[in-house]
Amino acid sequence: MLVTIYRVIKFAWQGFWRNFWLSLVTISIIALASLTVNALLALNVVADSAVTSLEQKIDVSIYFDPDVATPKVKEVQDYLSKLSQVSAITLVTADDAMKEFRQRHARDAAILETLEELGDNPLGATLVVTAQRPSDYPEIIQVLNHSPYRDLVSDENYKDHQRTINEIRLIADRINQAGIAISALFILIATLIVFNTIRVAIYTHRDEIGIMKLVGASNAFITAPFVLEGVLYALCATGLAVAVTFPLLNAVQPYLQDFFTGVPLDLAGYFRENFIAIFGSQLLGMSALNMLGSVFAVRRYLKV
Amino acid sequence: MIIFRNVSKIYFPERTVALANVSFEVLAGEFISIVGKSGTGKTTLVKILTAEERASEGQVVVGGWDITHIRSREVPYLRRQIGVVFQDFKLLQKKTVLENVAFAMQVIGARPSRIRKIVPEVLKIVGLADKHDRFPRHLSGGEQQRVAIARALAHGPKILVADEPTGNLDTATSQEIIELLQKINQIGTTVLFVSHDQGLVNQIRRRVLVLDQGTLTSDEAVGRYRLS
Ligand SMILES: Nc1ncnc2c1ncn2[C@@H]1O[C@H](COP(=O)(O)OP(=O)(O)O)[C@@H](O)[C@H]1O
Ligand SMILES: [Mg+2]
Repeated sequence: MLVTIYRVIKFAWQGFWRNFWLSLVTISIIALASLTVNALLALNVVADSAVTSLEQKIDVSIYFDPDVATPKVKEVQDYLSKLSQVSAITLVTADDAMKEFRQRHARDAAILETLEELGDNPLGATLVVTAQRPSDYPEIIQVLNHSPYRDLVSDENYKDHQRTINEIRLIADRINQAGIAISALFILIATLIVFNTIRVAIYTHRDEIGIMKLVGASNAFITAPFVLEGVLYALCATGLAVAVTFPLLNAVQPYLQDFFTGVPLDLAGYFRENFIAIFGSQLLGMSALNMLGSVFAVRRYLKV
Repeated sequence: MIIFRNVSKIYFPERTVALANVSFEVLAGEFISIVGKSGTGKTTLVKILTAEERASEGQVVVGGWDITHIRSREVPYLRRQIGVVFQDFKLLQKKTVLENVAFAMQVIGARPSRIRKIVPEVLKIVGLADKHDRFPRHLSGGEQQRVAIARALAHGPKILVADEPTGNLDTATSQEIIELLQKINQIGTTVLFVSHDQGLVNQIRRRVLVLDQGTLTSDEAVGRYRLS
């Protein structure tokens, strides 16, 4: 049994080298299929972190009339903070708001002058509310509008990053769909190439196969090296994909980082953390596909 | 050892009748020649024996095993009991004499120790012990056929089938191959010698089956083959 396994491996290995260039092309195509899948994955990682970081930036500012006293505002803060949808509320008092306003326009003499003329602080207090989830904001605003405090509120500014998020999601989805189509195409091509390579391998080995059949080698023994060759292709292709993916990720990382400023991005880290899951499943998937391709080719051209 | 009972073979779609109602029995240890003009069904008979083709009608038994409806996954086990050689030797050109014989044993799972023991033995039987590391292209036709015979013997088959083994060889070399087949027969292997060469067959003086257009026309214990 052991010696049979050894011989199957040896034959597969010989077959692999006998059509070296064809093997190389096959491996490259499979690796390419693997890379498109990885690119798709990277895109999802980028889109997810962009969306997450934008979601963290969403908040709603509730502006109070300038004549609403701070204790009253605190009351509203207490009221809102009891809502389960609310994750955090910060109070910006009228004085704080003024300070900030002055700072922001410190070099604008005209504005400062107007402020002096007004005398009183024209700004009101502000509550900055952060929700648990982006979808909670409309509810929070609704609760506020149906509460006894609604008359105190002069305005509320729902800082709507939601539209941006939706746009990112939409673009990501589009690219995703295209990516899935391209990946599927590459996987299909890879499978066909494997099928063809095994067909050629069978053709180059037709004399040996003829002898094997003549002297009574079992069908399993005749078939196994070709199936194993398919697995060997998957193994090499995954290795190649690993070798190419990380440098590629590191190369695009700075550009992505420039584009998504403030978004924490670590593509290589993500791939490193999920190495087994990503490349393991690709190896398994490709092996399964290649085995399938080989079995079909063997069935078709070997008539075992 | 071999029983053909009313065996017919029709090739489709041309509906060529290659064998028509052929019956005979070969006992263990016999040396039997099957002769007939070209296209009379000799190779078809060999193919049915090795389960490369199935009989259209009738029954075929080999070594007590009814192979008439043999399953494809059982075929290898039949082939390990029958050694076959052909007119065109079918040797692997990139392997040496020794490797060619060893290959046939490797692919059916023989242990290395057994291969090391058997290969020199069969090469000695065919008289090629000293040429074991030659490649086929550096051998004469007769020598190449001896390698093929050595390979066929490597499994220790009960039956050796030779389908026109001398077809590519000159008379003197053919003579030597016949002598080798006879020697193998004396060691205890049933030999089926297929040929269309009447001179060669007539001087063997053993049993002869004559096929004519798929029909068995003669079966004599010490047969002679006359061209009609
Ligand atoms: N695979 C096949 N398909 C169709 N016809 C065949 C096939 N093999 C042989 N024949 C036909 O069957 C007849 C017997 O052929 P064969 O057994 O090869 O004869 P022989 O070996 O005596 O020359 C011939 O007429 C041949 O053309
Ligand atoms: Mg013939």
